[in-house]
Amino acid sequence: MSAISTFIDGRSRRDYTLIGIAVVLAVLPLLLAGNLTHRWRLFTSLLIFSILAIALNIVFGHTDQLYLFLGALTGIGAYTTALSANAVGLSPWLTLPLGSLAAGLICLIVSYIAAKRRMTVILISILTLSIQLAFMEFFVGARSITGGSTGFNFSGLRIVFIENALGVSSAVVLYYLLLAVFVVILGIYTYLMRSKFGMAFNAIRQDEVAAKSRGVNVVKHKTLAGLVSGLMIGFVGPFYAQSEQYIVPGMFTFEVIDLLVLIMLILGGIRTMLGPVIGAGVLLYLNEVLLHSVLDGFSVWRTATLGLLLMFLFLYFRQGVVPFYEQTVRSKAATLIENRVKPALNRSRE
Amino acid sequence: MVIGSIIEVTIDGFARGLLFAILGVGITLVFGLGGILNIAIGVFAIIAVIATVVILGTTSNVLVAIVLGIGFVGLLGLGVDRTLLSQVYRSEGEERILLGIFVTLGLAIFLEGILYVYYPLSYSLSHGVPSLGILGISIRGSTQVTIITATIILGLLFIFLQQTYLGKATRTVFQDEMGAELSGIEPRRIRSLIFVLSTVIAGIAGVLYSFSRQVTVGTGFELTIFALLVAIVGGVRSLRGTALAGIFLGLVVTFANWLIGAYVAKVVLFVVAILVLTIKPEDMT
Repeated sequence: MSAISTFIDGRSRRDYTLIGIAVVLAVLPLLLAGNLTHRWRLFTSLLIFSILAIALNIVFGHTDQLYLFLGALTGIGAYTTALSANAVGLSPWLTLPLGSLAAGLICLIVSYIAAKRRMTVILISILTLSIQLAFMEFFVGARSITGGSTGFNFSGLRIVFIENALGVSSAVVLYYLLLAVFVVILGIYTYLMRSKFGMAFNAIRQDEVAAKSRGVNVVKHKTLAGLVSGLMIGFVGPFYAQSEQYIVPGMFTFEVIDLLVLIMLILGGIRTMLGPVIGAGVLLYLNEVLLHSVLDGFSVWRTATLGLLLMFLFLYFRQGVVPFYEQTVRSKAATLIENRVKPALNRSRE
Repeated sequence: MVIGSIIEVTIDGFARGLLFAILGVGITLVFGLGGILNIAIGVFAIIAVIATVVILGTTSNVLVAIVLGIGFVGLLGLGVDRTLLSQVYRSEGEERILLGIFVTLGLAIFLEGILYVYYPLSYSLSHGVPSLGILGISIRGSTQVTIITATIILGLLFIFLQQTYLGKATRTVFQDEMGAELSGIEPRRIRSLIFVLSTVIAGIAGVLYSFSRQVTVGTGFELTIFALLVAIVGGVRSLRGTALAGIFLGLVVTFANWLIGAYVAKVVLFVVAILVLTIKPEDMT
């Protein structure tokens, strides 16, 4: 058997999904965005929020740690990368790992303490919310370091060489760079959840005491989940800043980041592979519609609509789009094929 | 004289603390009874203020307007309880806790979103009480009103819970829901009563808060955070702990404000809360 057929036979459905979504996201903006920088930036937002949602999926979806400080973590990643690059005179590409590590370290500490002290979901949520607010005060107040609420320009994550070589704008290059990051992160998520870590996460989530009695190290696994999420969030922070070409505290508030990411994750389907990206897509599309609404003045109702959506989602649609699709649409299609189409085909053969 | 200033700051801190305490108690009551963490409590507080201001457009009697404003918030609380919370109560245990958090969060954002459209300005109320001067220390009118009102509320609450039948029924549900049901108490009704009570208390807190500063829709979120911190630090199921935690945090933030400055004071508040949470968390199930 040739190497290629062995390779293809060994791939599972998840691998094809990963490749599929990468291809779709690579081609889609070429069709829809064309030359409009604004649209490329929308697609970039899609990737950024998808990554954040994947991170939240790992830490909240799989290990029940309700992190409400994604905004602060994104900010820490962005500020650390940008400020250290400025301070040492290097390109942000080199200080990118620093931003990731900073956020990862904070999550490591938070998850470790929370797991060690056996904190409940509410406690973790209020603890992380406090951290979010504390960091927001710091970003705004420490003017000499962060530039306060005025912020500063940031456009260090560009590859001008490619822009000139291909004759495209920086927005396009940023998108494809981020797409590569997204595919890697989605890959990490998929393989993490398919591994023994994923099984441990599941066990911990369903019955922590039972899991512990079977020898699962709860603290280690929760801490690991936190660390991985933190590293992901810290890594995407500078790219977020690059897409805005600016770093200002208002970009990292609870309302701007955490709230949206939460809704996206639930809407798309918690603990699923494509949930984060689908949820992000739907919500960002909705956001665009609401912000630039044809209905005069509807955009002021954006906040109220988000609140309403959050309530509705959690009360009536907690599973999200992906499981809904799997359970209803696909199973109905499968039943239809079994009961109607196949017999019809068999009869026509006789 | 420095000692005079310290005493004034302490009294101010105490007043602030009592305000935090009654907000925290609003959270603890509802969570202890039904497992719902009411994230919308701050918004209710602000709605009371705005409703009062609106009513002041028709009547010039401040007290009547305040009573009507708070009454409005109570009615709103009743409506929310009958519709939204009924849905939340269908779940059990940890699922209900999570559901409660997200539904009340959605409610808070929804209400804020509406308020931002119609009432985007800042509002304050006047109490008409003059400053008091004792032994060279001056106490502002708003501080006096806050201390007296909050103390009365906490006192009434204590009497209610200890002496009245309804109060004892509440405590029973708090401690053992099954036992309460077996004794003929309907937990659902008690929860409605307590929820409405908590929104009324929140409304009073909002009005008191607006006596000494301008409030906006955004202040609602701030008040919710204070309430959550106080409730969590004091122990989300302990009323006495919450009241004490409120006073403690109120003093902390007021002294930090006086000694260091406004923005650092907030950071100090969060750091203290985070420290307490890490050093002394409780079993919340």
